[in-house]
Amino acid sequence: MHTSLGRGITVGVIAALVAGCGGSSKSASSTTVPKADTLAKQCPLDALTKATKPVNIVYWHAMTQANEDTLKSLTAKYNASQSDVHVSLVAQGSYDDSLTKFRTVAGTGDAPDLLQIEDTATQQMIDSQSIVPAQACIAAANADVSDIVPRVIQYYSVGKVLYPVPFNVSNPVFYYNKVSFRNAGLDPEKPPTTFAEVATDAQKLKASGVKYGFYYKRDPWVLEQFLALNGEAYVNNGNGRVKRATSVLFNTPAARTLFGELDTLVSSGVAGTNPASGSSQYDNLLSICSGTNAMTIDTSAALGTAYEVLGGGGCAAKVEIGVAPLPGANGAGGTLVGGAANYIVKGKNSAKIAAAWKFAQYLTTPAVQSAWAAGTGYVPISKESVTSKAIVELWAKRPGYKVAYDQLITGKENEATAGPVIGDYQGVRKAITDALESFLIGSTPPDAAITKAVQAANDAIKAYNDRIQG
Amino acid sequence: MRADRRWSLVARYALLVLLAALVLFPIYITVVNSLLTPARMGNRPPALAPSNPQWHNYSAAWSDGHLGRYLANSFIVSISITVGQVITAILAAYAFAFLRFPLRGLLFVVFLATLMIPGEVTFFTNVDTIRSLGWYDSYAALIVPFLATGFGAFLLRQSFLTVPPDLRDAAALDGYGHWRFMAKVVVPLARPAIGAMSLFAFLGAWNQYLWPLVATKDERLRTVQIGLKSLATSQVDKIPVTYAGTVLAFVPIAILLLLFSKQLVRGLMAGAVKG
Repeated sequence: MHTSLGRGITVGVIAALVAGCGGSSKSASSTTVPKADTLAKQCPLDALTKATKPVNIVYWHAMTQANEDTLKSLTAKYNASQSDVHVSLVAQGSYDDSLTKFRTVAGTGDAPDLLQIEDTATQQMIDSQSIVPAQACIAAANADVSDIVPRVIQYYSVGKVLYPVPFNVSNPVFYYNKVSFRNAGLDPEKPPTTFAEVATDAQKLKASGVKYGFYYKRDPWVLEQFLALNGEAYVNNGNGRVKRATSVLFNTPAARTLFGELDTLVSSGVAGTNPASGSSQYDNLLSICSGTNAMTIDTSAALGTAYEVLGGGGCAAKVEIGVAPLPGANGAGGTLVGGAANYIVKGKNSAKIAAAWKFAQYLTTPAVQSAWAAGTGYVPISKESVTSKAIVELWAKRPGYKVAYDQLITGKENEATAGPVIGDYQGVRKAITDALESFLIGSTPPDAAITKAVQAANDAIKAYNDRIQG
Repeated sequence: MRADRRWSLVARYALLVLLAALVLFPIYITVVNSLLTPARMGNRPPALAPSNPQWHNYSAAWSDGHLGRYLANSFIVSISITVGQVITAILAAYAFAFLRFPLRGLLFVVFLATLMIPGEVTFFTNVDTIRSLGWYDSYAALIVPFLATGFGAFLLRQSFLTVPPDLRDAAALDGYGHWRFMAKVVVPLARPAIGAMSLFAFLGAWNQYLWPLVATKDERLRTVQIGLKSLATSQVDKIPVTYAGTVLAFVPIAILLLLFSKQLVRGLMAGAVKG
């Protein structure tokens, strides 16, 4: 899953570690694009040619269960296909665990050579000064990345430099029960496209006897996505991509309208709500199964289980799962990228840097992305891969997967859809979660909750920036 | 009069049953959830008993969470830490309780002061130390930093102080030196306190999360709590498996608590009513 908010103690530890790495770091304030040849020096590809083969590298990943099995088989295939590089996988359990551990070993011989880190940590990884930007290897290898979905490249680029090598991508989609739609006299092939329509459909669904027409998981991701769909930046300084972000911009009329609508839906009993972490984090999906809910929003990474669990016939209610694009688009933006990417770790051994790049690049190739997407349900990031037999068959059987991919290739490519880059991303998310709780569970008016969230988010951003630049 | 007493007894038991139910319910519902199908997890009101127990959730948790290896590691680490702490605490507590040496009072205060320092403060220094010793990513890293605690020394000293001085004199007349007095008289008398301390040490070591996570990188050195965390990051259709893993990790602790509950209570009372 892309987002787990139960971070607890590790957040503090990461913050402390980042602070420890600060001091000498210079702010990412330059708008000039680094020269290709200066960049290329950071990625010494010829070292691999000179090195004794095979070069052994260690890859820390956070994939579990079925996803881990798919990754293992792709890695085994890679190791067997050539004799220059040998990759050893080490499962670190979760993105949080992996990042925490990397912080303590960065710069030592115990660090891995390649590291899978989740979407929100881009700025922290840059600030760690312990990675080689993917852009350096692209420059050194003169690699062509035009096959990779542009929004994914955009998402992981700061100041026109691509930092990690993109890998596993997901984004939120709209889930609904077509059976409930029919029972309520709604067209099951016409899911709502705006939050206003979500509200009217939810009311009709409730009138038809479903306890909640809609279930809202209090995930701060939705607000980020909503602003991007509307073409609005989430933080200042080019969404943190031109210069380090210093304040949030989410207190817009569109965001206030969204919060107002959610508040009305929940307080009138038309919609239910559940937390984004802990044991109730899937209640929004499971309530479709029990027949107490008909619509919700969740990550596309849950599609596989949604098809199996909700559509598997084991539910108390009759369920025919429908998947639609996220509602709320107004044509000015698009859906944001979520998931994780692979960072090449800066180390003393140049050959290992080159080897890590080779493997990370292999993971983005059409054939691998096609097998990966088919095996895991992640969105393929290679445009060519979607014409492969595996993907075509998957999409025919489970069209929801295509929805998630289409969201990333439609819409506008701009500052807003590139997504925010924030040092203390989790601090900002916590501010939004607190705001959502204060008006969806508590009785704070949504506008007051947003105002408070702006303050809390800006404080978190400032505290992080002060630690890094201080 | 007699009826009164009976009623008060009934009321007392009713209250105890209620409290026990409150304490046991989370454990019970965890076991129930561990046996459900993912689809039934969504039922509202929630299932209070599994109609069709999914025992294979346990084998899935065992293999997906690599719990066999991780439980073994947790046992190795927790038992080593417990044994180490008991030995160091007995020695330190004996010194503070029975030996006279310069700065004894001050040193004891320093021992107590370590109780006030949260583990997070020394966390990174410890990581650095471990690495510079070359112990990173080994059992030594998981065990050695926890072989001595101020808490254990404090708890046992309080218990040792209750040993009457006359016994010391009598033992001395019998020709007992410090070692024999400690082994034959003090330790047997302080058994409840030592039992309680061991249990605390074991529970503390068993439940460690952040240190084992950071001090090792090899999957083979992972402990059970980390295995649980990676189970918990799984998806909708695996929630019952996560519950099954939780039950598996809880069983050894539950057995220990049942075996040593008497010791635990006696040990905690021991320091409380010093004569």
